[in-house]
Amino acid sequence: MRYKIGIDVGGTFTDFLLAREDGTTQIYKVLSTPDDPSTGLMNGLQEMARDRNISLEEFIGDVETIVHGTTVTTNAVLTYRGAKTGLLTTQGVRDALEMRRGIREEQFNNRYPNVEPLVPRYLRYPVEERLDYKGELLTPIREQDVHGAVQHFTKEGVEAIAICFMNSFANRAHEEIAAKIIREKMPNVYLTVSSTLLPSIRFYDRISTTVLNSYVGPILRSYLTSLLRRLKEIGFRGVLLIMQSNGGVVSPEIAIDHAAVTLLSGPAGGPVAGIAYTAIQGYRDCITIDMGGTSFDAALIKNQTPLVTTEGEINRLRLALPMLNIVTIGAGGGSIGWIDEGGLLRMGPQSAGAKPGPACYDLGGELPTCTDADLLLGYLDKNYFAGGKMPLNEEKAIGAIKTHIADKSKMDVIEAAAGMYHVINVNMAAGVREVSVKRGQDPRDFPLVVAGGAGPNHACMIALELEIPVMIVPKESSIFCAAGMLMSDLQHNFVRTYARLLDQMDPKKFRDLFVEMENEGIALLKTERIPKDRIQFTYSTDMRYIKQYHEVNVVISREEIHQGKLTSIAKKFHPEHNRLYGYSLEELGTPIEVINLRLRCSGKTDKPKFLRMKGARPDPSQAFKKKRKVYLPTKKRFHMVSVFDGDRLHYGNRIEGPAIIEQVNTTTFVSQEFSAICDAYGSFTLYLKSREREFKGRVIK
Amino acid sequence: MKRSKQTVVDKILVSVFQRRFKSITEEMGLTLLRTTRSPILNEARDFVTGLYDAKGRMLEQTEYIPVLAFALQPVCQYLVEYFGDEIYPGDVILHNDVFTRGNQLADIAVFKPIFYKGELISWAACKGHQADVGGAVSGGYNPQAREIWQEGLRITPVKIYEKGRFRKDVWDLIFSNIRYSIVEEDIRAEMGGCVVGERGILSLLERYGRDVFKSHIEFLFNSTEKMMRSEIEAIPDGTYEAESYVYYDGFHEGSKFKIQLTITVKGTDIRFNYAGTDTQTEGFVNAPYGASVSAIILTFLMLVNPDMPHNDGMIRPIHIHIPEGTFLNVKFPGASTFGNSITGPHADAILKALSKAIPQRVTAGWNRMLAFAISGKDPRKGIPYVDILFNALKGGSGAPYGVDGYDHIGLINCAGGILAQDPEMFELTDPHVLIKHEYVTDSGGAGRWRGGLGVETIFKIYGEQVTGVTFGDGVDEEARAFGLFGGKEGSLNKMKFIYPNGQVYYPKSKEIIKGIPPGTLFHEIAGGGGGYGDPFQRPVEKVLKDVQNGFVSFEKAREDYGVVMDPLTYQVDEEETRKLRGQ
Repeated sequence: MRYKIGIDVGGTFTDFLLAREDGTTQIYKVLSTPDDPSTGLMNGLQEMARDRNISLEEFIGDVETIVHGTTVTTNAVLTYRGAKTGLLTTQGVRDALEMRRGIREEQFNNRYPNVEPLVPRYLRYPVEERLDYKGELLTPIREQDVHGAVQHFTKEGVEAIAICFMNSFANRAHEEIAAKIIREKMPNVYLTVSSTLLPSIRFYDRISTTVLNSYVGPILRSYLTSLLRRLKEIGFRGVLLIMQSNGGVVSPEIAIDHAAVTLLSGPAGGPVAGIAYTAIQGYRDCITIDMGGTSFDAALIKNQTPLVTTEGEINRLRLALPMLNIVTIGAGGGSIGWIDEGGLLRMGPQSAGAKPGPACYDLGGELPTCTDADLLLGYLDKNYFAGGKMPLNEEKAIGAIKTHIADKSKMDVIEAAAGMYHVINVNMAAGVREVSVKRGQDPRDFPLVVAGGAGPNHACMIALELEIPVMIVPKESSIFCAAGMLMSDLQHNFVRTYARLLDQMDPKKFRDLFVEMENEGIALLKTERIPKDRIQFTYSTDMRYIKQYHEVNVVISREEIHQGKLTSIAKKFHPEHNRLYGYSLEELGTPIEVINLRLRCSGKTDKPKFLRMKGARPDPSQAFKKKRKVYLPTKKRFHMVSVFDGDRLHYGNRIEGPAIIEQVNTTTFVSQEFSAICDAYGSFTLYLKSREREFKGRVIK
Repeated sequence: MKRSKQTVVDKILVSVFQRRFKSITEEMGLTLLRTTRSPILNEARDFVTGLYDAKGRMLEQTEYIPVLAFALQPVCQYLVEYFGDEIYPGDVILHNDVFTRGNQLADIAVFKPIFYKGELISWAACKGHQADVGGAVSGGYNPQAREIWQEGLRITPVKIYEKGRFRKDVWDLIFSNIRYSIVEEDIRAEMGGCVVGERGILSLLERYGRDVFKSHIEFLFNSTEKMMRSEIEAIPDGTYEAESYVYYDGFHEGSKFKIQLTITVKGTDIRFNYAGTDTQTEGFVNAPYGASVSAIILTFLMLVNPDMPHNDGMIRPIHIHIPEGTFLNVKFPGASTFGNSITGPHADAILKALSKAIPQRVTAGWNRMLAFAISGKDPRKGIPYVDILFNALKGGSGAPYGVDGYDHIGLINCAGGILAQDPEMFELTDPHVLIKHEYVTDSGGAGRWRGGLGVETIFKIYGEQVTGVTFGDGVDEEARAFGLFGGKEGSLNKMKFIYPNGQVYYPKSKEIIKGIPPGTLFHEIAGGGGGYGDPFQRPVEKVLKDVQNGFVSFEKAREDYGVVMDPLTYQVDEEETRKLRGQ
């Protein structure tokens, strides 16, 4: 038997999806080990071997692929425990890194502090040199300054260096001169050169991204090196791939050089999984939501392509590499409810986390959380939480909600719990609006893919709030990202700034820049053993109307590039601008400005195949467990509803809401507006009863 | 009798409405950010968006620049009075006039009434600082103006769309009086923003119906009012006085003008009384009532719980009296373009007065803005360019209790909402080459918590036919950002031009400068904020860190902070330090 394993290291748990070549899958969860995350990872592998009554060595020998999502870089930035980093930059602008764009995100909060820079000023070394906005020479580089930096950085013992000069996106000569000296004199430091990592305009974006890369580079390097060593020691001969923030995977060797590509990779497996689960039913678009213990992630996928942003941030620092546009808000099972000074109920963003946790965990938590409300409303079974491994204390939940919510706002405990449930659902719906309405997309046109331990409990109400008629709860919803990682392709992104009016562009230069990026992509994928016929390119340009400041990214074709079809490119820009912002200036003949050329380069990997059940049958009675009292939010009262064992449901089984479907790590609440149907892969589709005809046919074929 | 549907209020739904209003105004803001042309709007975010009920009462706003924002509700209420029952579906109304409650002529607002089933339910509004508004000087700032007509075009409420019909005649009349065509485009973008707001409100109405909408917003106003009242109740009752000065009216060297403020806190109400404030100046150093009210609200909001929803309810316990004819409430037809900029000195008076009541909530003084609005021709593209140099003008904030001041935050009017240009985009957008843009040593006032740092900016101008206007403050010795409770003052603002022939020109704080030749160096230092608390109480390691980073000099470390160290090794001389600090 051959295996593929997806591994997602989270704050509390490390999730595993083990896929066998016969199409069956198995979920594992072990406690994370923050001091050295690879220990938790090895523990999980150990458990898998034990389940098979074989040695770890024997088991690992059968593993052909491991895809690994890691948060070591993310945590290094969040806790300021990255490498001691030095920055070489153009004389006169060494504070750009620390100034950012001079904004205070919480405008009315006088005690909101400025961001601590990753490189303090005494390690930001100015170099005399200057190019203009076209990359033409204004002041030659003074190499003595670079040597001065070498001395200073050596004395200070920096482990990593970033080089970022003004306008280097247009001409990398000066950065290359500086890099050559650094490589010669300090061969062991981790070096990032801005014009190699991100040759695009916007100095703050580039300097911040370059510094982030150096700051986390040595951390990722030592983590991956030691992980590779441990895997090799036990006889792993397969392929290890690392998850990136752009939704693709990458070899560990390339990841080490481009460490920043892993910075926001935690939730990046989600959208990829969403595409796979919805494609089964023939959808090309979807919205994925993932509600965990402390946070809620939402992402939008259009035409099987997740939305991408180059304006990401981590800890208020700009990360301008392309990454999936995932909105994260502070809403999860641990979110704390409170009454504000005006007497209104709020939920989060504070969370009780795993420790002390919700009051009902009985681990010392005294504040009322979302999980406490879910318990009192009957969505959770106190005796079947985590499959019964962790009994919940109802009295503690009642006490917390009574003291902190009900008594303060003169409601009874159930009213208060229902209010908490409602408010957090509204908050999450707002998160979904961020990725849809704010990007010009109507959420009602998208199936909602629901993941995370707490997600399926809340999904019906989020869907009603947004008038979304259909939801898909994947069988692997509790380890959704780990599943997504196994479905990801290798991916590399390239960018070149070529700022010109569209009609004044030199078609040859335009084409050459794309070809240059293609060649870089092919070379990288070659090191990852991807043959040419498995490579796919996606070409796009960032454009805007003259004098605008923000660009619209428009996908273009190879033909348009090679035949210089500029009018046809313009024709694609106008309607996209109109869709996003409600108007186009096509008729006024307003000139279009091109800023960046982008290439996404992906290498197809072999995906696991999942087992398909045969013979649809509607009757779910074999999975019926019992009836219990559950609160129906739209009716505002309790009702006896049927509870089903989700793991015993069969293809075609249809359950009319209101109902509860329990699995070991998650519970799905089907409200009375919806029905649920089990698909051939064991996932559930929930749809509005009134629109059964439309949706049922997609599941039962 | 007809059964009233308005009696039951679902408190949870009130929270839902509040959140939705906020996110709709953010969506409107995003539309403006992405679609406007002037760098003042799309790079610096010098605009606001808001939603109002049928009576013009604020439902929620997104306030990148708050001084514009709190003048929207009064104008919306004025439109309701002005048009009476002649407001129709499909109307779009333009307004900027300061004598009908606006705050500044260059801040042109678009209002769109929102109808549901034939009834006026709400308003959406966008207002942004436009690149030009006609008048004697390009760019809207005219320090020579003595009356409003020399400052720009007054747009009293006027419909550019009526019942969905575009009024080309009115549009052409307005825009033939404004210099740059990008202003037309940017007003179109503001209209786009209002359409986004309308869509959002209509979807709420379709979902919940208008009766539920109406009853729940009343409840929202009341609950926010209650929240603000409990904040005010926490301020000790009493009368708190302070004064603050604005320097130079653009005509008389050495002139200064007093703001006299008496704040009375009683129970859950707070009163701001400006009796005793100097009469209005001859020139543009005056504020319209709308700008002064905005200044009061935005400063006060920084002193209460920052989670406060922004709607009509929060304003109710705030009572304001500014005698007409003082320079904080200019009388017709006085000039007043400097009005927004008076927010700095005005906030000083509020912070000083309340420092006696709530010492742990106020900040020390913020750097007062000194701005330069530049316009000319970009020889690379052959088209005009206009910019307000936000990167150069953003100084430091005053330190509060508990944390250092915010560096490079800029004028208090914006509360840190305004963006500095990205250095490379600055060179792509304007024909300038940036030579220096860095923090200034010893700019932040010394204190247990140090004032925010100021910034030095030098760039070379390659534009042609360049003229510019300075408008600002903070250049006179007395106008330094003040320190609090033993904290020291921040540094001053400075500006100079070095012409290609070597001649150096020091402009006044309000002046038109014409014929700036290509090759001229622009040089500005934006000062730092004031410090808070005794600098001797600042932990030595923090002083050391500041010295290592060059934010504080060795001399000032010794002089102001009583910390002595070796200039070569940064070794702290502990004994000498203890002695100096008197420990």
